[in-house]
Amino acid sequence: MATTANSLRLCVRARNQISGLKNAPLQSALTRRALSTTPAKWAEKGTSGDAGDAGPTKFYDTTGDVLKDLAKVSKRQGRAANRMLEKWDQLPAEEVAKLDKLTKEVIQETAAIRRPTKVSKTAFWNEAEPDTDLITDEVGEDDFEENDMTSMAHGKLEEHREYREYARIAVWEMPLLAKFAKPFQPPKSDEVLRFRYTTYMGELHPADKKVVVEFSPADFKDLTDIQRLKLKKLAGARYNPEKDIIKMSCEQFEHQAQNKRYLGDLVKDMITAAKDPTDTFEDIPLDLRHHRVKVKHKFPKEWLLTEERKKELEAERKRAFLIDENKKLSGGLIDGVKRIQELQGSEAVHERVPVPSLMAGQSRKDGRARR
Amino acid sequence: MSAPNSLRCLLRPSAAVPRQIAAATWTPSPWIAPFSTTPGAGKAGTTPKKNVPKPKAAAPRGVGMNPTGKKQSMKKFKKAQGAKTAKPPLPGERKAMRKRIQLSNNNALPVEGLAELEPGTMLNPKNIGTMAALPGAMQDNLRSLEAFKATQFWPMFRQPATLIRSETVDLMNRMQSAASKKETLRLVVTGERITGKSLLLLQSMAYGLQNDWVVINIPEAQELTTACTEYAPIPDTDPVQYMQNNYCLKMIQAIRKANASVLSKITTAYSHPELPQNIPINSTLLALANAAKEPESAWVVFQALWKELMRKGAARPPVLFTLDGLPHIMKVSDYRSPAFELIHSQDLALVRLFSDVLSGATSLPNGGAVLAATTRGNAPRSPSMDLALAQREAEQAGTELPKPEPYFKGYDLRSEEVLKTVSVMKLKGLSKVEARGLMEYWAASGIFRATVDEKAVAAKWALSAGVVGEMERVNLLTMHP
Repeated sequence: MATTANSLRLCVRARNQISGLKNAPLQSALTRRALSTTPAKWAEKGTSGDAGDAGPTKFYDTTGDVLKDLAKVSKRQGRAANRMLEKWDQLPAEEVAKLDKLTKEVIQETAAIRRPTKVSKTAFWNEAEPDTDLITDEVGEDDFEENDMTSMAHGKLEEHREYREYARIAVWEMPLLAKFAKPFQPPKSDEVLRFRYTTYMGELHPADKKVVVEFSPADFKDLTDIQRLKLKKLAGARYNPEKDIIKMSCEQFEHQAQNKRYLGDLVKDMITAAKDPTDTFEDIPLDLRHHRVKVKHKFPKEWLLTEERKKELEAERKRAFLIDENKKLSGGLIDGVKRIQELQGSEAVHERVPVPSLMAGQSRKDGRARR
Repeated sequence: MSAPNSLRCLLRPSAAVPRQIAAATWTPSPWIAPFSTTPGAGKAGTTPKKNVPKPKAAAPRGVGMNPTGKKQSMKKFKKAQGAKTAKPPLPGERKAMRKRIQLSNNNALPVEGLAELEPGTMLNPKNIGTMAALPGAMQDNLRSLEAFKATQFWPMFRQPATLIRSETVDLMNRMQSAASKKETLRLVVTGERITGKSLLLLQSMAYGLQNDWVVINIPEAQELTTACTEYAPIPDTDPVQYMQNNYCLKMIQAIRKANASVLSKITTAYSHPELPQNIPINSTLLALANAAKEPESAWVVFQALWKELMRKGAARPPVLFTLDGLPHIMKVSDYRSPAFELIHSQDLALVRLFSDVLSGATSLPNGGAVLAATTRGNAPRSPSMDLALAQREAEQAGTELPKPEPYFKGYDLRSEEVLKTVSVMKLKGLSKVEARGLMEYWAASGIFRATVDEKAVAAKWALSAGVVGEMERVNLLTMHP
């Protein structure tokens, strides 16, 4: 229902275009004055017929009338209209009648659309005015009519489609990438800068413009030791003393290439500055406070049980055994428990330790203080 | 309307109780008299207490308000206080208890064959790994020098005895050669915690006492620099130096007691007009030391004594000057100048005297040794000392010198200057022979209740890495089954 109405509306628009055509000579009439106090005098009064008087609201009943009117408009359009009129006249009468009938029907049916809508004066922002550009009114579109899967099922289906798409890529397209594989070639001695880029596989990401460059001052063969040291000092906290590498990054520009260019220029500038002999920075010590070396404890080599170490230990045990045996024989092996048992009844234990003179004096003093 | 509502959101939940409710709880009930000393008289036959809301119920109305007016306590129950029957200790008694040094124990077994320390015992490498008992007279001298520490394990044994370790023999030989060549041995004893640094100083003092040296000891350097003893600027010094009279007096008395026999043999060579009491030339140094009776004259007497000891002469004995707790004098002290600026430890006259000898600025003309021991337990951080000692160690080992951190600001150049040329002795763990000697002594004293064989020694040695203090912890402070 709605579709027929739409097609009708489109037809009417097309017709309106044609009616606009007939206004063309009026618009192009340069003879008409923009501002005047005298009444306008028309050169050919009445020649344009009712076309000029009817205005844009004039409607034709038949196609033939349209063409006849058009032929009067201008020479060029008139020629084309005349050709079309000739063809129109050649049409059989039934066809013409059918078309005229259709035209009438269309006009009748679209009358309601063409009718100007009255906007109530109290309406706010013409809210009640129908929007003629609206294709659907979106009413009842989302109603479920028991003739489809649920949205979850649609989601699942979409997921499967995605799986299958990637499976197809993996099977059919990925193997083709092998054609582009290049053998790894280690960087040459003059390729000292190592750039790192980030890609998110075609996705847009704020970090994909970032470029990181790493280089070692030791790789610049044309620098002297002093200049290399100056380069490290210039790099500041970007220098890693453990790896002897300077690492810098840039993401201030919009594109990767711009950032890379900036880094390249920066390295160039740093090397130029390092080579500058006016100030070699020799009075400034290299600042490594930013870097803390993390000590990683490893298993000591000395503790490994090698064959030699085993022999050594064996000899050590033998030596220890001999020492103990010798002591046992000579009676020098001391046993704490035995010693206590031996001395338990002896007089030596009950003998008091002689108190040195200084201590004795102190204890007397203490005693007096306590009393 | 919305603004007050939104502002109300900022209030605490306790404060957000609607005013009407709060007011309702506070409505004076007919049952309660607004103010009364007698209980409220309710209607006969009713139980007013049940129905009437107590004022306590409205407590959340005001935050921090306490209607009862009592101090709130988080504790659920009050702790029952025990009856105080014992007399509280008198002033100073607790400290005396804490500092008490007990050198003998009647319950410990006497050790058979324990040799007494003799003047040459600690010089002989054959004695490494054996124990030597400190003779009774020397115990008194060492005690007056405060060579014993309360943290050491003296009370566990019948008689104080020390282990002669290789470092002991090394140090005593160096001391002996320095004395015989009339040179000054300047040495810092360092090492990890409880590796026996203080005990090595004690052994050196014992050696000095037995070999007729004059022994001066600063038992705890922190007593000089932590602002716990009185101080006063010395007049006519630039930059101003500070004397510590009370400490000086204590030190002179210790010197006098410990070295009485040596000092009584030496006579004075100078007249000392600045002394409070006339000490004529050729009177004994003991008499000079006795002149210090008041703290006011202590620093002057000490200077006179030092001047006499520093006089070159055939009959003059070598001097041993020891100090324990080196990091305490390697920093800015806690004392303040009259301008309320912190005083550097090196501006304290006594510390300066020691540092000058240690750094070699003044040498001992009759030979002798100046020993300083670092401390790790209660030590302030002294990066300069650590660095200087590490550098001296590297110099001795012939390796690359550690460099100061270029951007570190905590270094103290004056301290570094002191340690520029000293030699360093780093104490580490005992060898197994020494460990065995020690453990045999413990077993013979009845403390270590097991057979001391190589296996037991190896077990304890491995547990403690040979560090003496750790061995004591492992063997003496652990319950053995």
